[in-house]
Amino acid sequence: MRTHFDVFGLPRAYDVDVPALEKQYRELSLQLHPDRVAQADARERLKALEGTTALNEAFKTLKDPVRRAFYLLKLHGIDLDREDAGAQKDMPLEFLEEVMELREALDTAMEKKDLPRARAMATDVEARRKAALGEAAGALRALEGGGPGADGQALVKKASHALGRVRYFTRFLEQVDAFEEESLS
Amino acid sequence: MSKNGYLQIHDPLKPRGQAVGIDLGTTNSLVASVVHGKPRCVPVDEGDSLLLPSVVHYAKDGGVVVGARARRLAPEHPTDTISSVKRFMGRSPDDAETRKLGHYRFVPGSKVVRFDVAGGTPVNPIEVSGEILRALKRRAEAHFSTKVEQAVITVPAYFDDAQRQATKDAGRLAGLEVLRLLNEPTAAALAYGLDKGSQGTFAVYDLGGGTFDVSILKLVDGVFEVKSTGGDSALGGDDFDRAIAQHVLQAMGASEPSPALVAEVLAASRKAKEALTDAPEVELSAGGHTQVVKRADFDAWIQPLVQKTGVVCRRALKDAGVAAGELDGVILVGGATRVPAVRRYVAELFGREPLGDIDPDQVVALGAAVQADLLTNADRQDEVLLLDVIPLSLGLETMGGIVEKLIQRNSTIPTAAAQVFTTFKDGQTGLDVHVVQGERELVEDNRSLARFTLSGIPALAAGMARVEVRFQVDADGILSVSAKEQSTGATQSITVKPSHGLSDEEIEQMLLDSIDHAEEDIQARQVREQRVDAERVLAEAERQLREHGSLLQDGERAAIDAAMARVRELSAGNDHLKLKEAVHALDETSRPFIERVMNQAITQVVGGHSVEEF
Ligand SMILES: Nc1ncnc2c1ncn2[C@@H]1O[C@H](COP(=O)(O)OP(=O)(O)OP(=O)(O)O)[C@@H](O)[C@H]1O
Ligand SMILES: [Mg+2]
Repeated sequence: MRTHFDVFGLPRAYDVDVPALEKQYRELSLQLHPDRVAQADARERLKALEGTTALNEAFKTLKDPVRRAFYLLKLHGIDLDREDAGAQKDMPLEFLEEVMELREALDTAMEKKDLPRARAMATDVEARRKAALGEAAGALRALEGGGPGADGQALVKKASHALGRVRYFTRFLEQVDAFEEESLS
Repeated sequence: MSKNGYLQIHDPLKPRGQAVGIDLGTTNSLVASVVHGKPRCVPVDEGDSLLLPSVVHYAKDGGVVVGARARRLAPEHPTDTISSVKRFMGRSPDDAETRKLGHYRFVPGSKVVRFDVAGGTPVNPIEVSGEILRALKRRAEAHFSTKVEQAVITVPAYFDDAQRQATKDAGRLAGLEVLRLLNEPTAAALAYGLDKGSQGTFAVYDLGGGTFDVSILKLVDGVFEVKSTGGDSALGGDDFDRAIAQHVLQAMGASEPSPALVAEVLAASRKAKEALTDAPEVELSAGGHTQVVKRADFDAWIQPLVQKTGVVCRRALKDAGVAAGELDGVILVGGATRVPAVRRYVAELFGREPLGDIDPDQVVALGAAVQADLLTNADRQDEVLLLDVIPLSLGLETMGGIVEKLIQRNSTIPTAAAQVFTTFKDGQTGLDVHVVQGERELVEDNRSLARFTLSGIPALAAGMARVEVRFQVDADGILSVSAKEQSTGATQSITVKPSHGLSDEEIEQMLLDSIDHAEEDIQARQVREQRVDAERVLAEAERQLREHGSLLQDGERAAIDAAMARVRELSAGNDHLKLKEAVHALDETSRPFIERVMNQAITQVVGGHSVEEF
């Protein structure tokens, strides 16, 4: 299977030089885009449509550190985006406690329409999200080049748990955002 | 046409004619094209105006009038004269938009909007827009003396799938191949970017007659990358008119005004609004009532509307991940940005004075012309590329009427997403899919694009059959859906037709109906084309007679003169076949003379050189 990394001819690694990626994206777009073949036959145009669709998807995934991490994890066999993913049920107990605690605190703030409180929580959660992403990145880097061994299994699990938290924190922040928009309008 | 050489200066009918860019506006429409490397708007209405008022009048005798003349007929025939039809494109009869203050008569109980107009048959918004496009196409053809068959048509960036589809259908109805639907702010940026060769991040604020758009774009190395877009496809200068009209109608004590009065007050309000751009107060009179409107009052009435644009702009900046201070420029587009209160607000919002050096009326059409040229002209292809985004998220209805988003707003297009559905009952052979567009969580708060049933799924135990549904959004921002049953590999392709739109059959019927008109159109075009041809032949013959009269032989002059007179006479008439014959006769009559002219020219070139040199 052609991966998003293959589209750009990059090694399958967490660290990506984003400005260089952007430049390459523009160059590839100039070559592949449907606008380049607007007068050509249907087959050429379909090819351009498919090629550019794949390019756009690859670019979107690789330029963003969070999406990139999720994608790498998926290449390691765990797809956290699938609703039925076993990995989601497999989160450690501390995490569930953390979720309950945050959930309750936010509900209270929202009930009281306490925007400053919600914002303060957002700042705290943002920091946790960053730390969790750092943890996932560390595990993903350690996996690069290494074989599947027992060590590898543990690293994948570590990345998966860290990204599970990232995902929860992201949703939490979206909720605060929505609450903020609602209270301001 | 002549085959004897000298008259064949060039073939006026290029295979696909002139590609044009069309700004199909709520209030005014324009057509532009690139000539000698520069985009220019084409005169399309009385007094060589570049703006064609987007007004269509349907007469009792079935005739259709478009433009300034139609607008003049509006006060007398308010229900037979459709203006601002763009606001109804892709909308259903029960949309809020359709029920705003206006003066139309709708056909009740129809699932699509239909205007009840004079001339017998009700018309839908696609047909009305088609008339505007047809008028633009014809006038551009007359201007260029060539066919116009390919066009880039602009749409508000915030148009949803249904509105885009409707616009494309209108183009088809007018006999145009729609090369691309181009977002209006992107078109404006293209017009600016090419003029200045600039790099950087720009915001385009486009407030027209009926729609508001804002786009944040980054221009690097010839690639225009739209970072985010936002808008309101039902907010514009028309709403400013309505704000004034509502106050005036109230002051008049007219609680249930007639369509004629509404039309009159709206027209007067619009005039007053435009005058207030330059004057601190103006007098407004309509329906025997006169009152003074002060700019300060007007500013206060439109304040909530203007602030609505601010909310949208802030969200677009946030989505783009750009702070107002990081922008390299703000571009103003659209007639309603002439309102001083709007300019002030935009300057404040972005913390800088906006650019406005290209005529805000023309800038969108000029950009569309550039894109049409880029798409059809192989020589220009590597210069510039536009990368646009989808303005509104696409999603599916899931359990409990909740939307699951599949494609996020502001994703670069073309883009695609896939979703796997499993059956939930034993032996289930069909699956219902409901596609919606919008940002809200509940299905009912979004626009319903399509409902369809995936059928022919093999009867298996619950959860065993897996169907992958793939959503592809093309470079026009238009969605198509295909489905694949994973255990058998059977593929189904569904064309998404908006739930409130017209079916393919209906569009076909409209096309067929328009072919009746088209016959007259073709006739008129052939006459015009043949006339152009005749003129060129005449001019060329006159030149040769003037310059090489000495080569004429006895009696030749009289015969050629007679043939020329015949061409002139028939040029004034409408019979293109007779005219063609006369042109041919002129060719034949003058051939011996012309051959002599050619021979002499060759002798002169060769003269003085020995044959060996060649
Ligand atoms: N001098 C002026 N002062 C205030 N408003 C003006 C002025 N001139 C034009 N307008 C308003 O601008 C609007 C038309 O703008 P424009 O021609 O850009 O819209 P459009 O392209 O037809 O619409 P849209 O882009 O929304 O489809 C009308 O509401 C008109 O009244
Ligand atoms: Mg416009």
